[in-house]
Amino acid sequence: MTPAARAAALTKVYGSGETRVTALDSVDVEIETGRFTAIMGPSGSGKSTLMHCLAGLDSITSGQVWIGETELSALSDKKLTQLRRDAVGFVFQAFNLVPTLSALENITLPLDIAGRKPDQEWLDTVIDTVGLRDRLRHRPSELSGGQQQRVACARALASRPTIVFADEPTGNLDSRSGAEVLGFLRRSVDEFGQTIVMVTHDPGAASYADRVLFLADGRIVDEMASPSADRVLERMKAFEAARA
Amino acid sequence: MLRAALRSLLQHKLRLALTLVAVVVGVAFVAGTYIFTDSLKRSFDALFTAPQPDVVVAATSGLDTGGSGGGGGGGGASAGDVTPTMPQAYVDTVAKVAGVAAAYGVVSGDGAIVIGKDGKVVGQDGPPARGTTWVPDPSITALSVSSGRGPSGPHEVMLLESTAAAAGLGVGDTVRIETPGGRVDATVTGLVTRGISGSDGSTLAVFDLPTAQKYLLQTTGRITSISVKAAPGTSQDVLAARIGAALPKTVKIQTGAQRTADIAERLQTAFSFINIFLLTFAFIALFVAIFLIFNTFSMLVAQRTRELALLRAVGATRAQVRRSVLAEATVLGLLAAVLGVLGGVVVSQGLRLLLKGFGADLPSGPLVIEPRTIVVSLVVGVLVTLVSAYVPARRAAIVPPVAAMRDEISLPVRSLRVRTVVGAVLLLLAVVLARQGLASTDDGTRASQLVGLSALCALVAVIALAPMIGRGVLSVLGAPFSGSAVGRLAKENGRRNPRRTAATASALAIGLALMTAIGVIAASTKASVASVIDTTIGADYVVFGAKFQPFSPDVYRALVGTPGTSTVTYVRQVPIKVGSSSSVLTGVQTDKIASVVDLQMLQGSVADVGLGDVLVDDTTAADLNLKVGQKVDATFVNGRSSVTLVGVYKSAGPFTGWISSIDTLMSIGARELDTAVYVKVAPGADSTAVHDELVRRLAPFPTVKLQDQASLKDQINGQFDRVFGFIYALIALAVIVAFLGIINTLALSVHERRREVGLLRAVGTSRPQIRRMVVLEAVLISLFGAALGVVLGLVYGALLQKVLEPQGVTVLAVPGGQIVGFLLLGVVGGLVAALWPAVTASRLDVLRAIASE
Repeated sequence: MTPAARAAALTKVYGSGETRVTALDSVDVEIETGRFTAIMGPSGSGKSTLMHCLAGLDSITSGQVWIGETELSALSDKKLTQLRRDAVGFVFQAFNLVPTLSALENITLPLDIAGRKPDQEWLDTVIDTVGLRDRLRHRPSELSGGQQQRVACARALASRPTIVFADEPTGNLDSRSGAEVLGFLRRSVDEFGQTIVMVTHDPGAASYADRVLFLADGRIVDEMASPSADRVLERMKAFEAARA
Repeated sequence: MLRAALRSLLQHKLRLALTLVAVVVGVAFVAGTYIFTDSLKRSFDALFTAPQPDVVVAATSGLDTGGSGGGGGGGGASAGDVTPTMPQAYVDTVAKVAGVAAAYGVVSGDGAIVIGKDGKVVGQDGPPARGTTWVPDPSITALSVSSGRGPSGPHEVMLLESTAAAAGLGVGDTVRIETPGGRVDATVTGLVTRGISGSDGSTLAVFDLPTAQKYLLQTTGRITSISVKAAPGTSQDVLAARIGAALPKTVKIQTGAQRTADIAERLQTAFSFINIFLLTFAFIALFVAIFLIFNTFSMLVAQRTRELALLRAVGATRAQVRRSVLAEATVLGLLAAVLGVLGGVVVSQGLRLLLKGFGADLPSGPLVIEPRTIVVSLVVGVLVTLVSAYVPARRAAIVPPVAAMRDEISLPVRSLRVRTVVGAVLLLLAVVLARQGLASTDDGTRASQLVGLSALCALVAVIALAPMIGRGVLSVLGAPFSGSAVGRLAKENGRRNPRRTAATASALAIGLALMTAIGVIAASTKASVASVIDTTIGADYVVFGAKFQPFSPDVYRALVGTPGTSTVTYVRQVPIKVGSSSSVLTGVQTDKIASVVDLQMLQGSVADVGLGDVLVDDTTAADLNLKVGQKVDATFVNGRSSVTLVGVYKSAGPFTGWISSIDTLMSIGARELDTAVYVKVAPGADSTAVHDELVRRLAPFPTVKLQDQASLKDQINGQFDRVFGFIYALIALAVIVAFLGIINTLALSVHERRREVGLLRAVGTSRPQIRRMVVLEAVLISLFGAALGVVLGLVYGALLQKVLEPQGVTVLAVPGGQIVGFLLLGVVGGLVAALWPAVTASRLDVLRAIASE
């Protein structure tokens, strides 16, 4: 089976000369289809950069990135935009929703932009799964933080993308709302076979994933299958100790 | 705190640049107006330094009004009938007065029409064609010889340099001049200048005294004034008193100093009128700029909420925060005002060019920048900026310190209730005022004041209500685009901040309301004129004199009896004064006039008008409270006369004032000069052949024009178009400022929403889609503004037409094409204004936009 996303010798360098920072140092990674992958690492480890590069949001310095069968470095901005629209879903930490649109309009936004009719049956399934049926006419400002993130998740799934990228999706939420959002992401993998990549620094959040990639100083230093919060925390502590 | 204010100014320099431009444009208009009028004034200084007679003795008449006589209905009165005269013997009387070194008789008047080398009349129809008498003593005449010598005898003339240049003639050439006394063919013996450069468009021919008497007055032994030179050691005042004692009381005696003061006062009046007229438009532009500045500062404050909160958190007081924003405004205003004064130099030259484009070639001189200009500009620039920034500054001061710690911050959304109430009350007031205005029954002054006040109330009401109206209107305007996500986003972006959208749209609405109202008045005036011509003038052709000068009866004699014509008739006019009301008396051929002009008689009949009988228009009859059958005492240039009122006609047609038979007119001493000849083509005649024959017969008379109804309308419309075109050009500045406002609002909005744009890009919105979204928002806002303005303009255009009905604007006409044009201007202007912000928005880096503060 083709991986949902893949990077080969992915290198990302910011700045030049004195201020040159290597954010990603020849990273090779495969994101398996239909699984929930978490990327963990301390601040500055390059985990967000990795996600941005995999998602086609950021340009890369060298190497190659694929989403499905498509190699990204050769794509124009136009093609990249179309790819993000049709094959990628996003959940950001904050500012996920367009304030002038209702919850429903936000969910169907990528489809509306593409000028496509949403698959009503699928849309209903997604909406019922996130449990927002009675909130669809509300504006984001009338929703709680957790509800806003659930709308964002529904939007990410609405177009049945190849892959969903979630960047600290629970970073701004209380633990109960966070658990709801993570539970929903988990179910979308289990029930709909959705591929999800989530960047987080919270071991508890990572424990929802099937697999955890550990990043440090721009390199993948370890990975863990079927993680639990305690094991992830231990591993993180070990890295901290090793660096110190 | 000042340093913080300056820093923040520099940080936002690009965004402030547009605000700066708006203030600069407004201030430059103000400064330019002052520079323009001051410079113009200075260029007339030469008038006061030029040599003057020490004393001038001028003839007067009972009619003496100081002006050049009424010229209603497309005809003026001839020089001799307008200009009072006195016996030439007075010159000798004056010459004998002790202290008089020399006295020269002078004849001056209108109607010396210079024919150019090309056989055509020199100069436009408006400015006069003057003739005067050569005074051979250069110490007492403002005319100075630039080449050649003075004229002597009936075949010599001097021309004004600009007249000769326009005629294509030089010293030694032969010139043809058409005068009330007939044709003069004379050699140009010299050229003169009047000391000021440029040209008001008037022409001047200078003759010796007997020639001037013969041709300008058609008399001998009479003059219009005497130029006196004082002997050394005799003061002007003493001399004037002595001359006054020697002459009858009917003459007017003025010293050179008095004359200079008189001219200065007249110029002062004219200049202050020009100044106020232009300043009105400058202040409209500034008023529009206020919206732009207000928006900019509101948005800058909103964007800096966290920074301001931090200042508060570290101990800045509310007053300090407010002062820091106001300090920013002051610096901005000062900078704009300084640039505005420099821009004023450009604007003053622009105004000169604009006026030249509309037919006024003004004298040029050094650029005059009075200290007053600079002070006014600085005060206006700073004040306008401060006033506009005051509300945003107050809002900045109420930011709580805790806002610095919050992640997402928004200023509280304030209720629109106050605005709604104020708007509703003003709107009601506007309606009441308008109703009162329309109901008032005086001459229209009160009506126009009330309607004007009503318009002001309505404008402010619309501005106050615009945020409420805006949400609804934008929904409707945006409906056609709601099918697409981009369209919906654009529409909602326009609706999300109703105050901002409203302020931006209002700025545009002000300019377009004025343009529309003027458009309606212009169209109504033209339609009314056309309707008057259609209903009252039955003649197929009218012959008028160039420069509205009367012409020789030879023209009538040449045309009468033209094959294919059924009626050829002429009219003559002289000034008349009844009571305190100055007007014209038109002499008509009572048996013929009815077939070419429908006088719309209310009482009596033109055919019954006999010797000593007169008709009068209904307005004058009402003003003077006259009844048919009544005897009326009238004053003419040459004396008084008693006439009988036998009828009243409606004051709508080509004539106003008094009408009598030609015989009556001649009996009070009018000269043999016609002001118009009317020609009616016989039914069934070949109109082309008749026209060609009329043209052929008029060939020897270059000073008259043959006009049919269409060209008559064209000519009148052309005059209106020039006036209205000039006003449009001045309002255009306010509209430009409004579009600057749209650019600024959008640029700031895009900056404010860069996270949102980033999000949209991340979830797959393409760059062209982002651009479309911004452009569409701009188009919606400007279309909203244009629609507001057009509606307001239509309402008040129509109301003004009602008010102007007594002045003859009887038909309401709506210039449909023009109004569609204004709306299109809104669309296109919005589109152009959105280009830069749209491109900026589409180029936003996705990641930076998401990650930005």
